[in-house]
Amino acid sequence: MAGHTGGLSARMSERRTARAASSDGSSDGDAGTALWLMAPALALYAVFTLLPIAATFWLSFNSSAGFNTSASFVGFDNYAKAVYDPIVWKSLVHTFLWLAYHVVMAGGLGLLLALAVSRLRITQVFFRTAFFLPHLVSLAVVGVIWANIYDPFFGLLNTALTQVGLGAFTQGWLSDPALVLLSVNVASSWQGFGLYMLLFIAGLQNIDRSLYDAAEVDGADAFQKLIYVTLPGLREVTTFVVSLAMINGLKGFATVYVMTNGGPFYQSELITTYIYRLAFQSQDHGLAAVLCILLSLLAITITIVFNRWRARISQ
Amino acid sequence: MLKFLARSTALVAMIAISSPAHAETLKMWGPEQITEPLVAQLWNGIKADFEKANPGVTVEFMPPTGTISNGAVQAAIQSDAGPDVILTNSGIGRISVVRNAKQVMPLTEQYEKRGWKDEIYPWLYTELKGQFGGEIYEVPDGLDALGIWYHKDIFEKAGWTIPATWTEFEALMKSIHETGLQPIAIGPRTTGSAGHLFGNLLQSASGKEVIGKALRREIAWDDPSVAAGAIRLQKLVEAGYIKKEMAGLDLDGASRLWFNKRAAMFVAGPWFTANARKAGYDLTNAGYAPMPSDIKGAAMPTGGVGWSWLVPVNSRQPELAVKWIDFMLSDAVMKKRAQDPASTMIYPREIPGVEPPTPVLKDIFAAAAGGVGYNPSVYLPGTVLDTYFQVIQGLISGQIGGEDGMKQIQAKMAEAK
Repeated sequence: MAGHTGGLSARMSERRTARAASSDGSSDGDAGTALWLMAPALALYAVFTLLPIAATFWLSFNSSAGFNTSASFVGFDNYAKAVYDPIVWKSLVHTFLWLAYHVVMAGGLGLLLALAVSRLRITQVFFRTAFFLPHLVSLAVVGVIWANIYDPFFGLLNTALTQVGLGAFTQGWLSDPALVLLSVNVASSWQGFGLYMLLFIAGLQNIDRSLYDAAEVDGADAFQKLIYVTLPGLREVTTFVVSLAMINGLKGFATVYVMTNGGPFYQSELITTYIYRLAFQSQDHGLAAVLCILLSLLAITITIVFNRWRARISQ
Repeated sequence: MLKFLARSTALVAMIAISSPAHAETLKMWGPEQITEPLVAQLWNGIKADFEKANPGVTVEFMPPTGTISNGAVQAAIQSDAGPDVILTNSGIGRISVVRNAKQVMPLTEQYEKRGWKDEIYPWLYTELKGQFGGEIYEVPDGLDALGIWYHKDIFEKAGWTIPATWTEFEALMKSIHETGLQPIAIGPRTTGSAGHLFGNLLQSASGKEVIGKALRREIAWDDPSVAAGAIRLQKLVEAGYIKKEMAGLDLDGASRLWFNKRAAMFVAGPWFTANARKAGYDLTNAGYAPMPSDIKGAAMPTGGVGWSWLVPVNSRQPELAVKWIDFMLSDAVMKKRAQDPASTMIYPREIPGVEPPTPVLKDIFAAAAGGVGYNPSVYLPGTVLDTYFQVIQGLISGQIGGEDGMKQIQAKMAEAK
């Protein structure tokens, strides 16, 4: 033990010497080497991240109808256009709703299934695999599958409702303005909940079993154990899942594009689908760039607010 | 052994040196149904004929994953890894999107140089010349003629016929509705399908002249004379003849409704024969008629250029692309296509002595021979189209009225250049 602590002291002393040496000028060489080593990664970052960001900003101040059109500087015109475009506001509201639906439905379902599956002993692996499977299907395919499920005339959902005598509940799932966003989100959440379920299961496995034993000794029932032991024990995982679900929610695009293309009459239009429509269908790259910046600001704001809240509840 | 190796190496080197000098590959974005065996057979035959006529040339089909309407063509060109020549759904509205983005080459010179202007109907050439101040960016491959498709057996059994007037047509829809059948199916989630029925209604309510004036901006789209078709659609939805749920259907969903005989009518063009084949529908049971109208002479199919050849500005083989279009316009190829069972359209010039491969195509050709009205989906400026299609969805889902919808289209028309 003495030898061990002696070795540690010697290493710490070496590090102090190295730090002292670097503070008197030899750090230049290290920094230079570090820069050379980082250069390939920095170059890739610059080309694939910084350059597109700069290009987006540049586009947002220009009027450009296409990739090889000579762009003309229009100042803040595109920004003004965005402010006065009612579809921008509509898609912004839909994006917030979409995000909330996804967090509640995909995250909530993930938690519920994790609680249910974690109690199983023999069949747990089967159910974990079965519930995770939708996550392996691409969102575009999920969109096609669910569009068929929702088909008002031949779809599984309306047919099943009719078969069990609940014909009064059949709906135009993708045509009703009040339902369409929620319907598409169900499809998207169905694809996403499996991952959140696995994260919650991992969180459940980390809860100290002695807490449940103590609660039982105190006479707590199952619901009380859930409220006072399980959920507080999942706090860290929950915040992680919520942040992940929010990021995934903001990226919502594929299912909407495949299932409704933003319709009917813009009722499922998200910022992302509107960006696609503007950039690739109408070729209005200027306005599309403004919306990309808006979406980025939205993501940054949500991340900051959420992290502050997370830090506060963690204290 | 060494001699053999040396000779073989020399031979391979000679081939390697000599081949690239003549080897050329033309990447072609083919028709949407190229994955269908019948269509693939026709196009592989054309490809083989072209390669035979042009030694050293290889044609490579790129199965298309979309059209101008959904942005796929634009994305393919922008990726710079796209095709050298494109066959896509067209019309001035769509062409203006890629033309304004400077994504396609002007082909005006070729019309003179290669005589293409004599290879298409004179009225079609005049129309193309008038679209972009004399410059032409497309070569029409097929024309559309959109009208009502109906099931002959259902109509015969019930004693129904497609009447001549709108008033009678409304009565027919009422009769169909009362039997529990859907009178008319539409899949407005697919932009084309939305426009096909709506264009028919506009033509039937206002006539060709009025719609033409609206497209040329001589009359506002919210003028009562133009808005009548939109109000007509609103009323059909209110009466339940077009179910609001149809706002959630796409072309495939609506077609399924028709092919399964749960809908009596469907508005489509000659290309619907391809969908019918795919669905295993007996095409001899398909009837076709123009949308009835109370205006004399207004009961005619709507249409315009439906399919065109385009050459992207970043085509790696522009010369070869032009050669390919030349080949496609030749008598031999056009006749071969028109008579093939995979034929799905009206060709851009009269082809004497051609017998259409299906009876319904014969009916469509006969209906179109009397003239074709405007399908606004292919004439409206690109920046207006999105609003146009969303308004149709809004009307079908009961979110807006006909007048409001036309005001929104007019507002976009006013903004468009």
